[in-house]
Amino acid sequence: MGSNMAECHPVAFRWPLKAKTEHGAVLMHVDPRFTRTSALCDIHAAIRAGTDIVFLGAIINHVIHSERWNTDPFFREYVVNYTNAATLIAPDFKDTEDLDGLYSGLSPDGKSYSNATWAYQREKPPVPATKEAKTFTDLLLQRIPGRPKTDPMLRNPRTVFRILERHYSRYTPETVEKICGCPKEKFLKVAESLLNNSGPERTSNITYAVGWTQHTVGVQIIRTAAVLQSLLGNIGRPGGGVLALRGHASIQGSTDIATLYHSLPGYLNMPDARKAHESLKDYILTEAVPLSTSYWGNYPKFAVSYFKAQFGDAATRENDYGYDYHPKITGDHSVMPMVIDMMAGKIKGFLVMGQNPAVGGQNARLQRKALAKLDWMVVRDFFETETAAFWRNSPEIRSGELKTSEIKTEVFFLPAAVVPEMEGTFTNTQRLIQAHDKAVDPPGDARSDSWFSFLLGKRLKELYKDSTNDRDWAIRNLLWNYEPDPAEAAAWRIKDEPSAYKLLKEINGYTWEDGKPLPTFANLKEDGSTACGAWIYTGVIPEEGKNRGKSRKGDEWISPNWGFAWPANRHIMYNRASSDPSGKPWSEKKKLVYWDPEADSGTKDPAGKPVPGKWVAPSGEGIDFQPTKAPGFRGKENGLGFDWLGGADAFIMRPDGKAWLFAPAGLVDGPLPAHYEPYESPVKNLLYRQQSNPVAKVWNVEGNPYHKVADPSYPIVLSTYRLTEHHGSGSMSRWLPWLAELMPELFCEISPELAAERGIRNGEHVTIRTARGEVEARALVTRRMRPFLIDGKMIHEIGLPWHWGWQGTAQGDVVNNLSSLVGDPNVSIHEGKVFTCDIRAGKKGGRA
Amino acid sequence: MNPEVHIPGWEWYYVATYFFIGGVAAGAYFIGTLAELFGGERHREISSTGFYIAFPLILLTPPLLIADLGRPERFWHLFFRAKGGFPFLNFQSPLSVGSWALLLFGAMAFLSFLDNLVSEGKLQSAHFAKAYSRIPRKWYAVVGSIAGFFVAGYTGVLLNVTARPIWAATDPLVGALFIASGASTGAAAIYLAMSWRKKLAYPGLPGFERFESLSKIIELILVVGVVVLAGRYAAPLMRGTIAVMFWGGTVLLGILIPLAAGWYIPRSAERRTSLANLATVMAILVLLGGALLRITLLQAGQVQ
Amino acid sequence: MPKGMFVDTSICTGCKACQVACKEWNALPHEPGHFRYNPVEKRPIAVNFTGNSYDNTGAMSATDWRQVRFIEQFSEDRSRARWLFSSDSCKHCNDAGCLNACPTGAIVRTDLGNVFIRQDVCIGCKYCIPSCPFGVISLSEVTGTVYKCTLCNDRIHNGLGTACAKACPTGSISFGEVAELRNAADKRLAQLKGLGYGEANIYGYKEAGGLNVFYLFLDRPQVYGQPEAVVVPQQRLPVSSAVTIAGALALGGAALVSFRERGSRENDEEVKK
Repeated sequence: MGSNMAECHPVAFRWPLKAKTEHGAVLMHVDPRFTRTSALCDIHAAIRAGTDIVFLGAIINHVIHSERWNTDPFFREYVVNYTNAATLIAPDFKDTEDLDGLYSGLSPDGKSYSNATWAYQREKPPVPATKEAKTFTDLLLQRIPGRPKTDPMLRNPRTVFRILERHYSRYTPETVEKICGCPKEKFLKVAESLLNNSGPERTSNITYAVGWTQHTVGVQIIRTAAVLQSLLGNIGRPGGGVLALRGHASIQGSTDIATLYHSLPGYLNMPDARKAHESLKDYILTEAVPLSTSYWGNYPKFAVSYFKAQFGDAATRENDYGYDYHPKITGDHSVMPMVIDMMAGKIKGFLVMGQNPAVGGQNARLQRKALAKLDWMVVRDFFETETAAFWRNSPEIRSGELKTSEIKTEVFFLPAAVVPEMEGTFTNTQRLIQAHDKAVDPPGDARSDSWFSFLLGKRLKELYKDSTNDRDWAIRNLLWNYEPDPAEAAAWRIKDEPSAYKLLKEINGYTWEDGKPLPTFANLKEDGSTACGAWIYTGVIPEEGKNRGKSRKGDEWISPNWGFAWPANRHIMYNRASSDPSGKPWSEKKKLVYWDPEADSGTKDPAGKPVPGKWVAPSGEGIDFQPTKAPGFRGKENGLGFDWLGGADAFIMRPDGKAWLFAPAGLVDGPLPAHYEPYESPVKNLLYRQQSNPVAKVWNVEGNPYHKVADPSYPIVLSTYRLTEHHGSGSMSRWLPWLAELMPELFCEISPELAAERGIRNGEHVTIRTARGEVEARALVTRRMRPFLIDGKMIHEIGLPWHWGWQGTAQGDVVNNLSSLVGDPNVSIHEGKVFTCDIRAGKKGGRA
Repeated sequence: MNPEVHIPGWEWYYVATYFFIGGVAAGAYFIGTLAELFGGERHREISSTGFYIAFPLILLTPPLLIADLGRPERFWHLFFRAKGGFPFLNFQSPLSVGSWALLLFGAMAFLSFLDNLVSEGKLQSAHFAKAYSRIPRKWYAVVGSIAGFFVAGYTGVLLNVTARPIWAATDPLVGALFIASGASTGAAAIYLAMSWRKKLAYPGLPGFERFESLSKIIELILVVGVVVLAGRYAAPLMRGTIAVMFWGGTVLLGILIPLAAGWYIPRSAERRTSLANLATVMAILVLLGGALLRITLLQAGQVQ
Repeated sequence: MPKGMFVDTSICTGCKACQVACKEWNALPHEPGHFRYNPVEKRPIAVNFTGNSYDNTGAMSATDWRQVRFIEQFSEDRSRARWLFSSDSCKHCNDAGCLNACPTGAIVRTDLGNVFIRQDVCIGCKYCIPSCPFGVISLSEVTGTVYKCTLCNDRIHNGLGTACAKACPTGSISFGEVAELRNAADKRLAQLKGLGYGEANIYGYKEAGGLNVFYLFLDRPQVYGQPEAVVVPQQRLPVSSAVTIAGALALGGAALVSFRERGSRENDEEVKK
């Protein structure tokens, strides 16, 4: 669901196909369109775009009331022990069932939630073991919360399970038919298939991509899948899980190493001027206390090692390891508000690397106009992209809205190197770090992005080296030691390319004194004796000169020696859950990690007697658990992290060790997913009075108008998406004739029913219009598209791939001229998968 | 048969013209030979005219063929291996065999042409004439005729032995049809040439006219057969310009009308004289029909 | 030991990686017919939207040696919904119409069984083009010679597989010894039949003397644009020749009766007419 895997991840799709052809797996595709993926699946269930939560919620409802789920002890045992189903929620929590689509805690202006009422009921906090706090860890130890209250019989109406059961009671097969437009029978086929293929002997996986994320309820759709998979016992087990397909090569890596504004490498939170982040101590208390009973209890070690990696010798205990000099965010700096700020003239300069916002940006017309408000812009790319050329030939220049002579933006266009021209690593969907070598020097002045960043940093450091200003401390003391060893560059023309090895070693972490790489993040210290760029990557360089990302020894299954999967080469997260609470595999067939009571643990009891028993994984899989903690271990009241967690608390990154069916924290739009219509929708929400996500990010600014609900001028639903044949905004494909000819022109996928209604003929031109803009495309009339009968009204959907722009050899209108800036409140992703529009036959401006 | 079989893209003005001229030359030569072999002195004019026109006509054809090649400068690869220079012949390929046949026919036509010149005393070198007359002219006329038949007929076989639907469907009749057309157009060409040479008043004429008619009847039967065989692939012959050219040009003007005229004209010697102009027109129509037959059948296989 | 390819269309995703890999390895230019030169921007602009599902080639050509075909099979209510993909190329027939037709010896079969066009020998007579029952060979207007898939002749003679098979992300195209590939194909067919794909069939065991590049189809070959009763044109050559000779003899006979006798027979003839 939410993915056209065969289209957008064609290489990864070989594995589902292998499962299908070699092991008889059932592949199901739930998607508004019949796509390349649907073509290869056993079942295709078409649903109206943006109704995924109804579909998934109804599966949840179906599953927990099914006979199988209630009679096979596996499900009850998994759910009670490994999820927070049994946990009691605060008595003042109010669900959407009580508030007609809202949760308790909504602010008076209706724009944000307080999660105070979503909290667990807890026992009294333990008496702190230590009074004096010498270290950050001591600080955390003084603040251990009380254990959550539970009812393992799941009888208490305040248990998560009972709240969830009530919450999804209105998500029925009939609702699916009414809201999703998917026949009841089809829905039941999918639900039954999923249920029957889950259990001790079988697991099912749900795979998604941006088809789920690009919604105002994107995070909640994924949450629904996670809840469902937890209920089905499909997490932490081979063949299970919720798999996020990332959109580009190494976009997982760029999230890990934090190109996101609000995150530091390794998913530490960015110091934030709006939070209690005054000092390093405040930062750690704010960020780590709520998580201290999970593995995040090591937060201080990760954070201090990060600052040490940034500032080296200058980072000392006394100056909080340079924390004060580290940048802090002051607000929402995600992409969409950045455009708003740019438009408002608040942003002066813009570095564009691996991005083409003039095509790929939502409300691209607004984005291009925003570019014209900059003082300067640097574009590094292979070709003169639309972003690089906006000042001379954009549609706004042609229409006279912008004049080249009046654009003050100074544009620097720099040639970039392509992947085979540089050394480095990819981290893809499955968190697998794979190193790649450099094959050739880039031509001419083209250079890698790391070269550019490294040399830019060097020059800035040179400029600031004599500064005595305190504010320049960070740049003066920034550790910038990636000079290549002459041997590394010996074979190449370009001698000043930064050392990829040194970069990865810094990310991996090393001891500060002797610079030795750290084999595991368990070695990290909070006293400044270790430096580590991103703790999750520790172990990729376990010893000097060895890069596990380069290993290429595959096998028939987990392939532990093919690359390196962070963290600690664990391919399946929370894989402790592949055994039952007592440590025995759920089944022989699905055996992965289990407790071997006879094995030599290498530890001794205080009397010096060896203690037998440890977790084993014959496949070579990394064990996502404390290696010698016995299944029956009861967590210490007064411990942090692993000490607090018990022997059956498989979900070690959660402060209660459980998978969260109900999210008491971490989400800004509700602890349980509920269906809201997309921000622009042709229909009213048939489930609640609340129409759309109440806290969705919207920007009511000039140039970003929205359509009303059921707006008669824009009655058609539009989804934007990508094709196998092109890359993103086309910047890597539209300039290459071989690729350009594969999908030469912008086209619009239209059902024959809509085509007949609007007099559109296959192959001819159509014009699609929203309040933001207008584009022209060739019509591809196909029964792969279909209308949906929703509440007695025929809802038409059309689809537009968005790869085209006005540069290159494959040219077409910019589809993102149509979209608006509106996004998910949790992660600020835009709603590109569903908004409304109108379509008519003929070219723009009424030409036939 | 698969409608997706690719179109070769032979240009009609080269290829169909070659088919046509080759057919006329072969037909004329063949008629000349048979007249020579069986008609004796009575048909002497026919055989000499046939030999006279065959050679110049066949000389026109290689340039047409070569012009249609993608790489004209390599035309000799048809006869000799590109490497090693050994002769090359592919018996499976009508085009390969046909090329050799054309070469052989050209050589024989040249000999017959020379022979005519010698025997009519137009080649004044007595020495040459003496040496030449020793060659058994009937033999190479026979060899030439067989090669000529090949030249006339292989072009049809060549079309038949492809996978283009209409050509494959009409197999195996197009070869025979092209031969019949070669005979009828060859006869028409001889008639025109004799008319031009003012040698029409000769005793063998009725026999010649009978042959003309017979060849047209055979041609007509084969045309009908081809259309029937084409069946559901006959569409290109049934619409547009090709249909007009085929039915109006080839069938009506090129066969039916001349056939009717051929039945009407030779009633008496007087008529023959008075209707000489009509007969000439008919001969021109036959030639036109023959040319259109090649063009239409070639193009019918080259439309989507 | 003939080498070939087995194309399992049941796991083809229609990604066209094979098309690009083919062009890349064989250094084929983009198809000129797919672009129009824009004199203002001084560059070619792609204009080959076909409107025929996701097919971009329309047909194989001198520069498109591979064509991924897209077949949409949908009933009006979408209860029957199928989108078939198939990556098509030269089949390297054991009885190859093109090779049979070639008058110059430019088309040869190598020791590995692939049918190969020697570009330095081809004269561009175009006879092979309509002689291929599968619509594979095409003339290049640029070189004046004909082209088709070579089965990566240079790669396979140096121990590598074909470029398309190498690039195929799902293993839909596999390269190897034909005999081994047939074993794999039989197994896969049996498996699919077991899964209820009743119409699944293997195409290329008997067609044109056996195809070294053969296919597993989920529907009738015709649906995939492949001829079902393949007749290699030259099979018809003996009959075609014989009938033509008979035609020649008939005319010879006609000439005989016309030129040899006069009088009563002449009248008979006229009565007959």
